[in-house]
Amino acid sequence: MSKAQLVTRKWIGYIVLILMLLIIIAPFYWMVITSLKSNNEISAIPPTLFPVHPTLSQYTQTFGQFGFGIYFRNSLIVSIISTILVVILASLASYAIARLPIRGKTFIMVTLLVISTFPQVSVISPLFVIMERLGWLNSYQALIIPYVAFNLPFAIWIMRTYFAGIPRELDEAARVDGAGVLTTVFRIILPLSTPGLFTGAIFTFVACWTEFFFALVFNTDNSFRTIPVGIALFGGQFTIPYGTIFAASTVAVLPIVILVLIFQKWVVAGLTSGAVKG
Amino acid sequence: MVSPALLFVALVTLFPIGYSIWMSLNHIQSSTNGFQFSFAGLANYKIVFNSPLFHQALIFTIVYAVVTVLVELVLGLLVALAINQPIKGRGFAIAIMLIPWTLITVISAQMWGYIYNGVYGILDYLLQSLHLINQSIVWLGTPNLATVSIMIADIWKTTPFVTMILLAGLQLIPSDLYEAAKIDGAGAFRSFFSVTLPLLRPSLALAALFRILQAFGLFDLPFVLTGGGPGTSTMSIAMLAYKAIFNDFEYGPGTAVAVITVLIILIMSLISIKAFRAQVGEVEE
Repeated sequence: MSKAQLVTRKWIGYIVLILMLLIIIAPFYWMVITSLKSNNEISAIPPTLFPVHPTLSQYTQTFGQFGFGIYFRNSLIVSIISTILVVILASLASYAIARLPIRGKTFIMVTLLVISTFPQVSVISPLFVIMERLGWLNSYQALIIPYVAFNLPFAIWIMRTYFAGIPRELDEAARVDGAGVLTTVFRIILPLSTPGLFTGAIFTFVACWTEFFFALVFNTDNSFRTIPVGIALFGGQFTIPYGTIFAASTVAVLPIVILVLIFQKWVVAGLTSGAVKG
Repeated sequence: MVSPALLFVALVTLFPIGYSIWMSLNHIQSSTNGFQFSFAGLANYKIVFNSPLFHQALIFTIVYAVVTVLVELVLGLLVALAINQPIKGRGFAIAIMLIPWTLITVISAQMWGYIYNGVYGILDYLLQSLHLINQSIVWLGTPNLATVSIMIADIWKTTPFVTMILLAGLQLIPSDLYEAAKIDGAGAFRSFFSVTLPLLRPSLALAALFRILQAFGLFDLPFVLTGGGPGTSTMSIAMLAYKAIFNDFEYGPGTAVAVITVLIILIMSLISIKAFRAQVGEVEE
């Protein structure tokens, strides 16, 4: 390419980049700004691009009258427990798949990936019947169990790539020193593959945090609702309380955004190694 | 060591799918002492296949999946090609691109609902200020516009994700291939079609498969944004199954819809498994 072409290409790159960032950020800006407006300003015509009288009243309402704190707590409990379980189970399974001589590795991996893409609706009625019989509707385990099952495959898929990169000599050295398989995994392999662990953990956490369908079906009781269900059902019969919805949304978005930005490099690496390299 | 994880996954996913098939072959009634099953053969499937609502939902879901996935792939590829060069701020941009992917779909649905609002929505206001439209448009008011509106919300949320996967795929293509193409006298278009596209095919196929499978489970977005309306025009198959089971307590037919969804997905997965195989093989070497 000539120099002029390179410069043009660079310009196109910058323009596309800036346009894309604007398109991504604009709705978020609108959401946060709206959460700082009063109810009158939210339905003002024409809309105000900045809050004229910024107020935190939507936030106090969200946590007070609308009891958003319960949803937030439920989401935290369900997501954190599911993530811990996934990381433990997935690290054992992916170590075994990466190391031990198991027949049909490829088949297992492909089956796992296909399963992880099944929509929730494919298992909803039997799981509902089972949960009903066990008396587990409206409980934390009603969500933790399916969340762990549906997120394990992808976590195994991601972690396996990291484990495969650790030299086998380390395992052998550990075995010579008398360490069993479990000790090897938890004392040698896991500390060396922290990025893989974190990537798997973040993916699982995001998936649990955002899951709607199971949460809607299994936990209909207000005291066991999670954030997505809470935000979906905020709407009244005739009016939609956008101020409350967006205050709640802003609170729900913040922890994930912070988490993802901090672990940005690992998440990107996990996405690309998991999805592209195989 | 693999077995606890695999057993658990099988117990919570494969077993229910099998149980779904059994349920879909039964008349099921919910009573005070649990669910009563009585074998009904293919009666539920007959009901489903004769239902105009199912036809509509199936067509809507297929059109939705094909259109959104195509647009997302083309847009994602264009953006990935444009920013696949050493420009400043790309790392930051990639971090921002992650954010829509982490967004709760319900929130994005509410966000777009407010943007589309026919009375005080910002979209109408912007379009009117730019004199692109003269009077306000009820975005969610007619079947076609509502479908497009849902698609736009999906495309907004998912294109950055597709872009990232394709960008990673682009970076795997060795640069000497482009130089070789140049020496052979290939222009930018020629080298795109004979180097970039063929080498990017695995990433494209994988992104397409993931997205299509996801699109077939479409539920959150129309559930919150349109409630399946106006009428039933934006009702997806997942929503239809949900409504049949949990609103109308038609467990048999609803489960039959779910089983049909699984079958469609399985067939698509089997067709695409070649792409998977090629990639898995690469790592296993």
